Formats: sequence, C-alpha cells, structure tokens
Amino acid sequence: MTTSAILLIAISVITTGLVLGVIFSLVAAGVTIVYGSIWLPNASNGQFFLTAALICWSFVTWLAVPIWVAALLTLAVSLPISYLLEATLIRRFYDVPDRNIAYFVLTLGVTQILSGIFSVTYGRWSDQFNLPPMIAGVTFIGPFPMTNNRIFVLGAASVLLALLFAMLRFHPYGRALRAVFQNREAAALRGVNVRAIYRLSFALGMLSIFAGGILYGMAYSFDLTVAWTMAVTAFAIMIVGGPGSVLGAVVVGMVFGFTQAGVSTFTSPTLATFSYLAAMLIILLLKPSGLFSR
Amino acid sequence: MSRDTVTSGAWRQSAVTAFAIACMGLAPFGAAPAVAQSGEPITIGFISELSGPYSFFGTSCKQGLEFAEKKIAAEGGVLNRPLTFKVMDDQTNPAQAVAAARSLDVQDNVLALTGPTSSDIALAIYGYAEQNKVPFVVPVAAFAQLTKPGTKYTFRVEPDAVGWGYAAAKFVAARKAGAKLALMYTDNALARAITAGIKYQAEKENVSIVADILFPQGSNDATVQAAQVAAAKPDFVYLATVGAFDVTTTNQLLDLGIKPEQIIHNVGATSTLLGYGARSVGSNYGTFFDANLDNVTAEGHKFIDDFVQQVGRIPSYVENYCYNTAYIIKTAIEKAGGADREKFRDAMSSLNMVEPTSGVPISFDKNGARKEYMYYMQLTGIAAKSYTAKRLFYIEWAPETLPVYDLVK
Repeated sequence: MTTSAILLIAISVITTGLVLGVIFSLVAAGVTIVYGSIWLPNASNGQFFLTAALICWSFVTWLAVPIWVAALLTLAVSLPISYLLEATLIRRFYDVPDRNIAYFVLTLGVTQILSGIFSVTYGRWSDQFNLPPMIAGVTFIGPFPMTNNRIFVLGAASVLLALLFAMLRFHPYGRALRAVFQNREAAALRGVNVRAIYRLSFALGMLSIFAGGILYGMAYSFDLTVAWTMAVTAFAIMIVGGPGSVLGAVVVGMVFGFTQAGVSTFTSPTLATFSYLAAMLIILLLKPSGLFSR
Repeated sequence: MSRDTVTSGAWRQSAVTAFAIACMGLAPFGAAPAVAQSGEPITIGFISELSGPYSFFGTSCKQGLEFAEKKIAAEGGVLNRPLTFKVMDDQTNPAQAVAAARSLDVQDNVLALTGPTSSDIALAIYGYAEQNKVPFVVPVAAFAQLTKPGTKYTFRVEPDAVGWGYAAAKFVAARKAGAKLALMYTDNALARAITAGIKYQAEKENVSIVADILFPQGSNDATVQAAQVAAAKPDFVYLATVGAFDVTTTNQLLDLGIKPEQIIHNVGATSTLLGYGARSVGSNYGTFFDANLDNVTAEGHKFIDDFVQQVGRIPSYVENYCYNTAYIIKTAIEKAGGADREKFRDAMSSLNMVEPTSGVPISFDKNGARKEYMYYMQLTGIAAKSYTAKRLFYIEWAPETLPVYDLVK
C-alpha cells in the first residue's frame, strides 16, 4: 500500500472517530445528566434522538425551511416535549424509593409507543431520511477529502459540549445541579430547590439528546433503526464512564468513536461494533461503578 | 401529471392520508367494483409488514396490490366472482406472520396466502404453508430457500438473491473485461446470498474481488471502509448495504473520489434512488422493473401514472411485483376453474403468462422458482421527487444455472 493510501485511511480513522465521538458524547451526556440527578435511566433516549432527527427532517421537507432554521426549531421543540413529559410522567415518581426501576420500565414503555408511532407514520413513507448539508463542499485534510458539513457537525457538537461543561461549572444552576448529583439531601439543606433542578436536568438532558439527533441527521442518512443503535451505545457509554459523570460520558464517548473507527480498520466493522460492548463488560468487571464515578 | 413528475403537495397529501387512516384504525382496501359480480368472493390472505422495521416495503407492496385489486374488480373480478384480499399486519415479526397465516387459513379459509416483502417473514410463512398445504405466492422476497428442492406450495415471484449476484458479476464483466471489483455489504441473509453469487460467478468471468467488506446491521459510518476501497483502486464498487446506510455509504464513496459510474447498487427502489442525490447521477443499479424501461406496457404506464398521482412517487419493482402478483393469482384461479387449493397450486405450477406491466414472462419451475432475469440501469438524472435512468444491461437465466442451494444454506 502506498504512503498516500496509508495516510488516507489514517486520516479517515481520525476524522470518523472525532465525528462519531462528539455525537456519542453529546447524547451520553444528556442521558447521564438525567440519571445523575433524577436517577432516571432513560431507555427511550434512542427514540428521542430519532425524534429530533425526524422533526428536523419534517421541518425541512414539509415546511421547506432552511436547515439551520429547522435545527433551531427542533431544539426549541424539545423544551415543551420535556415539560410535558416531566409534568405528566416523570415528576410522579420523584418521591418513590428505588424509582430508577420504575423509570426504566416507564421509559421502555415510551420507547415502544414512539417506535410504534414512527413505524406506522414515517416508516411507511420512506426507508431512509436525509437532511440537506448545512455547508456544501469538501475540505482536503492531506489526501483525505472531508465534507464541510461534517466539519460543521464536529465543530457544532464540540461547541455544545463546551457550553454544557461551562454551564455545569460556572452557572449557578449548573453548580446546583452538580450539588444534587453529589448529595441531594445536603443540597436541599443548602437551599437548592431540588425539584426545580430535577426539571432543569431533564430539560437539559433532552436538549442534549435532541442536539445529538439533529447533528447525526446532518452527518449521516438515517432510518428508524438508528434509535436502537444509539440507545445501546449511549447506555454503554454512561455505564463505562460512570453514571452521572458528564466528563466520563464525553471521554468514553470519544473513546468509543475512535474504537469503532480504529477496530473496523484493522479487523472488521462487525468486530468494531462488539469491541466497545466488550470494553464495557471488562470495565464493569474491573470497576463496576464506572471509570469516572465518584 | 407526467410519468416522472411528482409534486410535493401530492406527497404530503398521501402522507397525511396514510397517517389519518392509521390513526383511525381503518384499512379500506379496494373500491366498489364497476362491473357486477355474482357469487361468493374468492379471498386471498395478504400478510405483510405494515408496521415494524419493514413497514415501508409492506406498505408499498399493499399500495401496488390495491391498484391491481381495483382494476380486477372493474374488469368483473375472476370467474365472475369478486377477488378480495384480506389484509393482516405481521409487524415485521415472523411469529406474528405465522399467527396471521393460521388465522387466515383456519378461520377465513382463504384460497392462498401472499404479501410478505421480508425474506425472514416469508420463510416463517413458508413453513406453515408447506406443512398445511396452503398455496403461498411470495411477491417480494429473494431468499433462495423459499423455493428449495421439494417445495410444493410456495411460488417466488422475485428472482433469488444468489441470482442477483450472478447477474452483477455478468454485468461487471460486460462493462470491463478483467475488472477489479470491491464489495461492501450489510450482514443480512439477502446480502450474503448476493455476494455468494457474485463471488461464484466472478471467478468464471475473470473479475477479481479487491475488497470484501462486511458491515454489521445497524452500521452508521463507512468513511474508513470507503477509504480502504479507494486505496484498493477498484474499477467498480458493488453495494449491498441497506436503506439509510446505503445512502451514507454511497456519499462517502463519492466524497473519496469514487466516480458514480463505478458504483453499482444491488437494487433500486425509488426512495433510495432519490436519496442518493444529484451527485450520484451516473451510478448503476439492478432492478426487475423501472418506469424508465422501454418495455413498460400501456397498462404499466397507466399503473405508473395512477400510482404517481395517488401516492406521490414513482413505483419501483416492489409495487410492480405486488401489482403483478394479484394478476398472477387471478390467472391461476381462472386456469384452475375455481377456488380449490390443489387445483390452484397445479395451475400455478404450469402457469405461463407475462407481467401485465412489462411483458416479462412468468413461469415457475418444479420448486416454485421463477425463471430469473435482471436489468441494470444507469441513473441519468435526479430531481427532488423524480429520477430518470437508462437501461445498460439485461440478462435472464434458468434457476438451475447456479448451485444456489449449495452457495446459501
């Protein structure tokens, strides 16, 4: 193989790892924020990820709005959806002991309902969905032509992750949210409105999942099966990173992205899919609480 | 409206209508016949994927069948009796499909079963049909085992997947002698069968396989593999990936400098062809029916026009096979002279007709396999809701040409 061919493959591994990694991280961060504060293992994260991509596609296809407007509108739509879910389903379990099991079953139900709705609506209209590129054209990184659209997705997801970190670290709500993560009773004694933080974290988590869904739809064609793939991936990242750890979600999300790209180069795409699930099992054996748990 | 023009308004209208019907739980199927028919209706059980992962294909099949059902009713039915199709949703679930088959057989006493578009579902019904001696006409499922030796009651309308691969290797060899071919395919029964056929025939055609990349189901990115393929410098890349991933893979190959003319898609359905986008013009795809073919009959053109008008997109081979399946069943009933299952089965076995939409011959061998054929088309234009293509290659062959059941267990 020529040097140029080796370079082409090497850069493709790096760029693929980065793009997949930031999207995985964004979604896993959304899942882990909600789990860390409310103890809600959101089994329906994949369906909400898909919901975001489908809503964005619907805005573009049916209302013919520009892609960037559709993306912003879709993010905005996540807020009333979050509010509705929190008000009708989630808050009823706030005081239930061992509510994580109840929440898991509840979100499995939501998964089935959304999956059924999508299969008899969008599923009958097409077997694949595409969003137009935010930015057309390609940029050459050495011999590797990377589409400007993917560069945009990579940049946008990185900015969103940075904003999420900044918000959690510096904003009063973010600090309160982290306090609830660490010890909700102590946070309540310090005057933190724990229920308000629950609501905030749910909305923030959903916003993050929606952002991941929109960016994924921009980077790749998608169909309804992506919901299941993403649900498993986001859960695996959360468990390996440590439930409730946003840093863990981001680091492990990036590792998973690079693992998928790298293993598929040197072995096969099939092994790549199993590789990070195998990593999850090994880490659970060595450190059951996850890599970044406190 | 012209044959190749689809308005977004019509598309939206059909989508809203489909949604409204789904919400109301209604499934009106067929229209009032224009010609009076006497006698009891002859009922066929139609089991398809109206929900679940294959809902797009099941719904498309049902749409194609509905056009034929209405037309048959307008023509006076069959043997002066109404021909009706009782629809059941298998939810893309083999167990559900078998339950539906049992219900249609025992409770409704249907003459025959038809409808599935998924090989897994068709295989599940196949077991029931063969065991209980219920004729089963499979409109769109390409897995060869549906007509394995000893099959008596199942008839497969679509050519088998190993044959698709055989045709692909022949096509590549016809385009360039001693060509280098790269394979990229998803890990499913259909793609494995296709690539088995390609590998078998490639050797005989002096076509060398320079990359052989298998993706697991649920894959989302092929950038790295596209780079590996580009590095192998093939003359052609054969893609047997699925749905959205097929579009992603195509775009990633194009991003890396593979020319559209080098790409061969295993099969072209309208939604996927449109999904490839304008930059994919020049790429090739296999098919069994296409609105752009010269041999589309007057009835075929009417079907295409009416379908575009009502559904908002050009019908592809799926809808065409389901349309023709209704006519295959009608012709076999006429030949059998009534609604007796054994006589119907015998009539199917000795059927000799042509597809009303294309004039392509239809006959089945002793195991229910159809005489095989395949077109290779080249995309010449893609618009928002329509595409144009030209025929590059046509091949037909007898099912026994290939050791199909040795290649795919």
